[in-house]
Amino acid sequence: MHPSSWIAALVVVAACPAMASGEFGVLKVAPGVEETFYNCTACHSEHIVAQQGMTRAHWADLMVWMREEQGMHEIPEAELDVILDYLAEHYNEDRPNFPR
Amino acid sequence: MTDKIDAVDVSLRSRAVGRRRLLGGASLAGLGAVVGASVPFGANVRPGFVPVAFANAELLAGKKGLTVLGDRPLNAETPPHLLDDAVTPTDRHFIRNNGLPPEDVSREGWTLTVDGLVDNPMTLTIDALRARFEVVTMDLVIECGGNGRAFFDPPASGNQWTYGAVGCSAWTGVRLKDVLEAAGVKPEVVYTAHVGADEHLSRDPDRLPISRGVPIAKAMTDNVLIAFEQNGGPLHKQNGAPLRLVVPGWPGSCSQKWLTRIWLRDVVHDGPKMTGTSYRVPNRPVAPGEEVATEDFVIMERMPVKSLITAPANGAEPAGRTVEVRGHAWSGDRTVERVELSIDFGATWMEAALTAPANDGAWQHFRADVSFPMAGYYEVWARATDSAGDGQPHAIAWNPKGYLNNTMHRVGLRVA
Repeated sequence: MHPSSWIAALVVVAACPAMASGEFGVLKVAPGVEETFYNCTACHSEHIVAQQGMTRAHWADLMVWMREEQGMHEIPEAELDVILDYLAEHYNEDRPNFPR
Repeated sequence: MTDKIDAVDVSLRSRAVGRRRLLGGASLAGLGAVVGASVPFGANVRPGFVPVAFANAELLAGKKGLTVLGDRPLNAETPPHLLDDAVTPTDRHFIRNNGLPPEDVSREGWTLTVDGLVDNPMTLTIDALRARFEVVTMDLVIECGGNGRAFFDPPASGNQWTYGAVGCSAWTGVRLKDVLEAAGVKPEVVYTAHVGADEHLSRDPDRLPISRGVPIAKAMTDNVLIAFEQNGGPLHKQNGAPLRLVVPGWPGSCSQKWLTRIWLRDVVHDGPKMTGTSYRVPNRPVAPGEEVATEDFVIMERMPVKSLITAPANGAEPAGRTVEVRGHAWSGDRTVERVELSIDFGATWMEAALTAPANDGAWQHFRADVSFPMAGYYEVWARATDSAGDGQPHAIAWNPKGYLNNTMHRVGLRVA
């Protein structure tokens, strides 16, 4: 990437109020957040993740849909397990971490 | 504001705060982390591409007061009290993106191809569309099929729209019907297929983010436009500039943005987000949380009757005991016959004054001066009934993907 693009990005960030989220955006910091953040944000922002409340099985279905229909990269099974455990723990149907 | 007023919609209020935080974007530390990360699609990041996650301010230029649900893809809705205008200003129109808008949205050189099962396939510039067909301006409702999804329990996956994934701007363009007639629709055509210039989130050029269509009978309706102006000016980039379809009263996804091609087919279109469970609902009523086999889903067509209270705002503390209540009501392919209001949790109802639609496909406006008998906490509820006699339900007819929520809108007030 051309350095000027990063400068432009920095200017945009600097222009935003200091309501910054953490290193992993709006995602809850807990074991598995790093794997979740980087795999998800390869294609879309973590905002759409944090809005959801789903069981582990439904998260797993969504992964299959993204892989088969949306061209998601292959995630090694062990890593996928870490991600699904994280999502089921922190973004389940009871929505304990709905963005607020 | 009191706890009781908050209780009307406490989750949403907190969401609004959360989304303001989302707007702040990532921290500098976060940026550093992304720079250093090896991302699976890193190879697809083009020189000069500013990661969208950090470009909110620029993306939302020309929009005012919208609540951002997510920034890549960009999705943003309008708080109900900012939808008070009779015709939705461009800066208040919601944004629903499935992919990434094309970088170049200038009208010069933009073309629309009409092909497939037509006698005369054609490719037209915007100027040619304007010169060759009657240009019309109509107020047309676009509502996302998932508007109201946030209230589903158990939650339904997707963008958690509350109330504001709806708008009714004045769209100027040519009738799809006129263009299709000029192209010559072959008798075997059953469905349209719409293609836009937006990019798939993966940036794979061989994938379309979304390509939906409508039955040919719907496409031949007088109020379906190929639009090149919004409210007398250019379309907003995020609303599909320079050319889009507007299919009023049907799920917004039928109204393809950044339109480049309309392809006529002899089968129901099977493009991305036409199949599976996208923009589909079960073929029967189901229990909340019920698992439904994919083959039991059917394509959504018209959007159901609905109303929105745009004044007063939720949580308002009006000065007097008489308050003007205003809003809009609409029903896909139908008109609204009446709008009723209740201030006693649905025990009694009063009829509001209701305007006729500006044209077929526009929303209608209601208003009433509502007197509150004593100081205290109230909710104003609105329910519309359409020309087929359908009204708005109290409770959500739950479906797995969170579509078609047309439950009554409720606004909490503290009357002094």
